[in-house]
Amino acid sequence: MEVIQFLADGFASALRWHNLLFALVGVLIGTAVGVLPGIGPMSGVALLIPVTSTMTGGLGPEEAATSAIILLAGVYYGAMYGGSTTSILLNTPGESSSVVTTLDGYQMAKQGRAGAALSISAIGSFVAGIIALIALVLVAEPLSNVAVKFGPAEYFSLMLLGLAAVSGLAGKSMTKALMMTVFGLLLATIGMDNVSGVARFTYGLAVLYSGLEFLTIAVGLFALGEVFKTIIGREYAVGTIARVGRILPTRQDLKDSAGPIARGSLLGFFIGVLPGAGATLASFFSYIMEKKISKNPQKFGTGAIEGVAAPESANNAASGGAMIPLLTLGIPGSGTTAILMGALIMYNVQPGPLLFDEHPEVVWGLIASMFIGNLMLLVLNMPLVKLFAKIIETPPKYLLPIIVAISVFGVYAVQYSTFDLMLLIACGIAGYFLAKNDFPLAPLVLGLVLGPMIENNMRRALTGSDGDFSIFVAKPISAVFLIAAALWLVVPLLLKLRGKKVLINEEG
Amino acid sequence: MQRAKFRWTWGIVVTVVALLLSACGSGGNNASNNQAAAGGEKAANAPANAAEKPAEETATAASGYPEKPIVVVAPSGAGGGWDKTARALTKVLAETKLVGQTMTVENKPGGGGAVFMAEYATQETKNPYKLFVSSPPILINNLKKEGNSPFGYKDSTPLAQLTKDFGAIVVGADSPYSDIKALLADMKADPKKLTVAGGSAPGSMDHLIAVLPAYKFGIDPKAVKYVSYDGGGEAVAALLGGNADVIATDVSSVAEYLKAGKVKVLAVTSAERLGGDVKDVPTLKESGVDAEFTIWRGVFGPKEMKENELVYWQQTLTALNDTPEWKAELQANAWESEFKGSEDFIAFLGEQEVLIKDLLTALGMAK
Repeated sequence: MEVIQFLADGFASALRWHNLLFALVGVLIGTAVGVLPGIGPMSGVALLIPVTSTMTGGLGPEEAATSAIILLAGVYYGAMYGGSTTSILLNTPGESSSVVTTLDGYQMAKQGRAGAALSISAIGSFVAGIIALIALVLVAEPLSNVAVKFGPAEYFSLMLLGLAAVSGLAGKSMTKALMMTVFGLLLATIGMDNVSGVARFTYGLAVLYSGLEFLTIAVGLFALGEVFKTIIGREYAVGTIARVGRILPTRQDLKDSAGPIARGSLLGFFIGVLPGAGATLASFFSYIMEKKISKNPQKFGTGAIEGVAAPESANNAASGGAMIPLLTLGIPGSGTTAILMGALIMYNVQPGPLLFDEHPEVVWGLIASMFIGNLMLLVLNMPLVKLFAKIIETPPKYLLPIIVAISVFGVYAVQYSTFDLMLLIACGIAGYFLAKNDFPLAPLVLGLVLGPMIENNMRRALTGSDGDFSIFVAKPISAVFLIAAALWLVVPLLLKLRGKKVLINEEG
Repeated sequence: MQRAKFRWTWGIVVTVVALLLSACGSGGNNASNNQAAAGGEKAANAPANAAEKPAEETATAASGYPEKPIVVVAPSGAGGGWDKTARALTKVLAETKLVGQTMTVENKPGGGGAVFMAEYATQETKNPYKLFVSSPPILINNLKKEGNSPFGYKDSTPLAQLTKDFGAIVVGADSPYSDIKALLADMKADPKKLTVAGGSAPGSMDHLIAVLPAYKFGIDPKAVKYVSYDGGGEAVAALLGGNADVIATDVSSVAEYLKAGKVKVLAVTSAERLGGDVKDVPTLKESGVDAEFTIWRGVFGPKEMKENELVYWQQTLTALNDTPEWKAELQANAWESEFKGSEDFIAFLGEQEVLIKDLLTALGMAK
């Protein structure tokens, strides 16, 4: 009952006109930040901290903190909504968490279903946001206690499960998918090792010390690769411009998406709660899961609406989930929440186990404003879909240079280094040849994300156990993940063997 | 129809370009990496420099610096000591209007600060718009054998020491240990029994804080089971979740968890007892372990700073140290003030370097 009282107070605070305005400004900026490649949610939030401190200058300390955090959180989840737009329309992921959306989203856009893809991702994001918030209100405290129990061994096994599930991203050939995964893992080892601080494969080049930037590689492989393919394949000459069909998803679309949205929201939320896992993994995992349980897995990658709905819900739910360790323990679960935490500290609100007790008005005001902000985003995004979807009606001769420009600007705005531009072009060329020869690109990107996490957590776990590998099976949660990973690999093989036998019998 | 379409297309192009330009400008403010700053510097500063030359010696305010937003880098993930110092610094400098330009904090985690130093000391030697906060690791990384950072404080311009903090040996609230001696006695009996975690790599500061009492207690420091996490925040999470038995961190990071009753602080590494939330915690010396470790924190600039830039920061940081806002900030974070200007700071760093080299040699970890 106490919770309801606090929440009511929170709504009272969030519904004040200036806080509504702050939420609106936040989600508007967030949407822009999400749509534009280059400035992701992290830099968008960091950028606005000094602006908000000026804007809230006239308010009392607690009120100023509430208003500022409402605006900044608005940017955060606004960016999660907007992040899918360029992925779907231009095959250019704006944020790492929307890389996987390109797989089906872009295919849908090519078939003239951009409107449906965009609106389902807005609807999915909304549902996920609300589910994550309800969970935040109800189970924040107990869940955060479970989340910190997640140790290196559990992380390692979870990541391994993710890696085993990479088959879900395979195209025609499993071998090629595995090759790409290993290649991604290899690329991930470049840079300064976080466990021992030793430089690996850097050849003394300072630009390599912090490793290869994930977004550069993803944008190069997906966006530039596609551009090269269009140019070399002379597809632009055909003159068929993708038409924007209906904007709203059909009844069948909604029916197909309901399950993926619900599952993606839950999965994304739980992954988001784990400090350090993040929205990118959530989106990959939910996509793989949907493909695995789908009755028609072969339609993924060719424009399945489930392949857009699930990851877009998951990355939004993960951003809600990431608020839990931040608000209850003062432990930021992602880069963006780390910056939000910095903003709170700036207002003398110290996130930590005492936050709910010491500053209830700030926390509950924020939670209430997130409900309102999500609603605003849905209302805001549906009309925008119509506008954005028209972008792909642009003839290729104008569209292709725009994609190249966006990719180059976006990468440069994040990294400020010409090395990354070279890498971008190299990845674009690699992306073209790989895609041409049926090497799937997504496993490479997943390997790149998972590599450092797998390695660091494995080494941490093994240090803790004195090099004893049994720690991975001794911990129950870890063991469950490992068994799931093993089944994931073995069951299809068994089924295949059986299938062959059946076939042989028939032939015999 | 064709015509209308054409115009419409250009509308899109123009919009996209405008958006991109604005994205570029704002991205520059925030992330402010070297290229934009260094590349833009020539164009932006050339006329300004010509105008300001005569005034350069007399007043820093007239020199024009800083004329762009400033980034203060915390070479770790958020939530740790560096991060908090950087955020407190930028906050007070902005509040008191000592620095008129926007100041933002950037986190550059990895290698216990070595990742950032490698980049900073090679690519940002002339970028006066990027400062960073550091502490003993800048010395340690440069001195240790494994994971050596070829760059140390001599590859930067030490601007000022701001605070001192102390190490803390922390266990969970439900830990069976409530004094450091019992913990060390058990660790001596079987070092494998206890997992010690910290926010940075072996051979770095958290590790030194963790093994220093053990070493002085007569435990082989190499036998201590030390697990490194990405920053103090993750290490605390490991402690709260029972994935570590004890963590070594700094006093200021742990105060909030102590107040909430989530952890017990067994000892602090100061010479005398500290005040505030940790006033009941004994020092290592009180507990009979002859060890002391001071975590100083300071602000550094790039190696090649112009005279006027150096003077600017000298004056600004000295002024900062006298403001009531900064004092209040120090108190809120349980930091002790310890201000040293650039010259004193450089001399102090020289002494500390000798001290840490001795310690690392004793541990068999020196370069």
